[in-house]
Amino acid sequence: MNFIVSASTDVGNVKSSNQDSLNVKTLTINGETMVFAIICDGMGGLEKGEVASASMVKAFCSWVLNRLPVLCAWGLDGMQIRKEWFGLIEEYNEKIKIYGKKSAIHMGTTVTAMLLTGGYYYIVNVGDSRAYEICSNLQVLTRDQTVVAREVEQGLLTLEQAETDPRRSVLLQCIGASDVVYPDFFLGEVKKDAVYMLCSDGFRHEITAEEIFAYFHPGRMLNEMIMKESETALIALNKQRQEKDNISVITIRTF
Amino acid sequence: MLEIGSIVDDKYKILSEIGHGGMSVVYMAINEKANKTWAIKEVRKDGVLDFEAVRQGLIVETDMLKKLKHPNLPSIVDVIDSDDTFLIVMDYIEGNALSVTLRDYGAQPQEYVIDWARQLCDVLGYLHSREPAIIYRDMKPANVMLKPDGNLTLIDFGTAREYKEKNLADTTCLGTIGYAAPEQFGGMGQTDGRTDIYCLGATLYHLVTGCNPSEPPYEIKPIREINASLSGGLEQIIIKCTQRNPEDRYQSCAELMYALEHFEEIDDGYRKKQRGKLRVFMAAAVMTIISLTLGVGTGQAAGRMATDNYESLMEEAAKTTDYEQKKALYEEAVGIPDKSGEKSAYLELIKLFKEDNVFTVEEQKLLVSLIKNNQIVLKENVDAYVEICFETGKLFWYYYNYGDGSDNQVVRMKSAIEWFQDVIRNAPEDYVNLGMAQVYSSIGEFYRDIAINTVEASDRGLYQPFFVEINELMDQVCGDETESEIVVLELLELVRSSLQQYATKFKTDGVTWEDISALYDRVALEVANIETQTDKTTEKKNLTAALLEDTERAIAIAYGVGTEGGE
Repeated sequence: MNFIVSASTDVGNVKSSNQDSLNVKTLTINGETMVFAIICDGMGGLEKGEVASASMVKAFCSWVLNRLPVLCAWGLDGMQIRKEWFGLIEEYNEKIKIYGKKSAIHMGTTVTAMLLTGGYYYIVNVGDSRAYEICSNLQVLTRDQTVVAREVEQGLLTLEQAETDPRRSVLLQCIGASDVVYPDFFLGEVKKDAVYMLCSDGFRHEITAEEIFAYFHPGRMLNEMIMKESETALIALNKQRQEKDNISVITIRTF
Repeated sequence: MLEIGSIVDDKYKILSEIGHGGMSVVYMAINEKANKTWAIKEVRKDGVLDFEAVRQGLIVETDMLKKLKHPNLPSIVDVIDSDDTFLIVMDYIEGNALSVTLRDYGAQPQEYVIDWARQLCDVLGYLHSREPAIIYRDMKPANVMLKPDGNLTLIDFGTAREYKEKNLADTTCLGTIGYAAPEQFGGMGQTDGRTDIYCLGATLYHLVTGCNPSEPPYEIKPIREINASLSGGLEQIIIKCTQRNPEDRYQSCAELMYALEHFEEIDDGYRKKQRGKLRVFMAAAVMTIISLTLGVGTGQAAGRMATDNYESLMEEAAKTTDYEQKKALYEEAVGIPDKSGEKSAYLELIKLFKEDNVFTVEEQKLLVSLIKNNQIVLKENVDAYVEICFETGKLFWYYYNYGDGSDNQVVRMKSAIEWFQDVIRNAPEDYVNLGMAQVYSSIGEFYRDIAINTVEASDRGLYQPFFVEINELMDQVCGDETESEIVVLELLELVRSSLQQYATKFKTDGVTWEDISALYDRVALEVANIETQTDKTTEKKNLTAALLEDTERAIAIAYGVGTEGGE
């Protein structure tokens, strides 16, 4: 499997700092090409949100550098990846919590991290950042850990009501502010000629699924330049529609 | 930051840091002259973005807190407002937060939780009844201290304010906001006393199940799904507290307190259903035994020399002053085979039982068995039978004391219902007390069913007729000058307590301010005017009189007169 990757982030219209952190890298281990992508949406007073998100991103990148080759040598196994990622999240939940207590502020971060190999993708998710798969249609691969998403599941709200609900930014849990974090883990087959996309919630509130598909479908996303242009165009559209949050997106094209 | 060992305000020596929150640090300090330990909360300038705004808020808040006095609240003794810090000196609370208890020991025993619930409900009720009402907004185990004596103290009033001003457009995390009620997220209506009731329900849920509602699966399940041995009554209470819509919750702490004090009755309601089948069988068995006994008894009596006739027994009883002898003679009179349908012996017995103002369990057993055993004969003279039933009903209603002597108004009324219903079933249409029997019966039923109806939220519409009935009863009882003082006092207390407890409900059910204040005035007037003759009645009178002020306030708050509801 071959991959083309691209990433964009923007501080947005209102905030004075960008608390999103992200990373995407293509790597070859034992002759197999893989992609690792991660987006963390930080939150917290006194502009410390980016400390939480950046430290989580760094921790995952260091895992990719140091642990992934070891796991590949053993033969890549979903259960092992899950165990190590959950451990990493648990560790940083404590670290960020302790740091927040020391500086007397609440801070935390979401995480959506994805590893794509020739065969499978693995995703870990805490909070409301998302991973999508775009082939003939657009599909969300993660499940938002938000109060409104849970109420939609329980049948208390419709999807439309959830979009405008005043609580739409309230997370059920996040890294650094929950006593215990329960991440979600997803695994699936990587499709050829598809686009995989990770984004922070700021990227998706003001634009529709149709608009995302129109810009990001595999028929259009043919090279790195077009991918970057599409990302920039959608970020501009978001800002034009008065999105207040930071906006981040990563796209991965398989072929 | 205060330095350990430094002296603040020439009085308080800082001993150690005992904790810190979002924008403050709490120290333990000692006033060496008085040798008393205090907690000092320091709000740091560098911990907040807009210190001046926060300081203004703190001044308002501490001024408010200084006025509060309640066993479950810490008292603030001093506020030191200097250039760059703001210090609040308050009671040092020994013990641990309930969150620590939960972490270390998991779910807590139900009896403890019920006791805690009552304490917390009491303190929230106290806060809500201030003017203007104080809404706590942040009830959670971490904010409740469990002292070594088993009592609780509610701490940390700062967070409520901090939280209200949170910008919800920003991403926030449930873990940092505890057990927030849906309306606390904004855009879904104002927060009010019912918000605290939601958070209290969530807190109780966590305490009794050990499951944190702000962790997966993020829901409040019926508690018996987690532990089947828990009380169904408590389950209903928690469900009702944590309804999404504030309208569906308990509307006031008084209502919740009532439920907490009667949760076992809700259990009983459930068990009753379960035991229904058994009871039908038992009733049949008992009837069989009674018929057998009656048969044997009649046989023996027939063979006895009936020298002492009914009239002479009644006469003798009237002359005696000894209680035991009187009782024995009336009992004997009822026992004369062809005289067991005569009403006078029963009525005299009822009069006798009233004499000391207490209808005891033993007296109750005797009277009830006499009436039940002779029911068939008694019913041959319907007028006599309904009179006995009516008087027995009143005896239960006003005098029955089933045991520990604590407040048993509801038990008394419940026991009385069946007698009044017997009157309704059997009385001829022109029976003089028929209307009264109906009034007593429906008030009794109201009290019997209200706890369950309230839990099931099907109580709406029940309060208006209840209001009409208590008015009617007031007309009858207070208009009758021959009525005994205990009857009048019992009724006045009944009306007073329902006015206090159901003020909000009366309002929702459409009782007007004019009507409710007229009834209140009438109760107040009657209480002031009644002249009591015995210690027991004087005590009763004083008890009711002492609660009048609270009652008046409850009505005023419910009707929003002279006070501000909500925020």
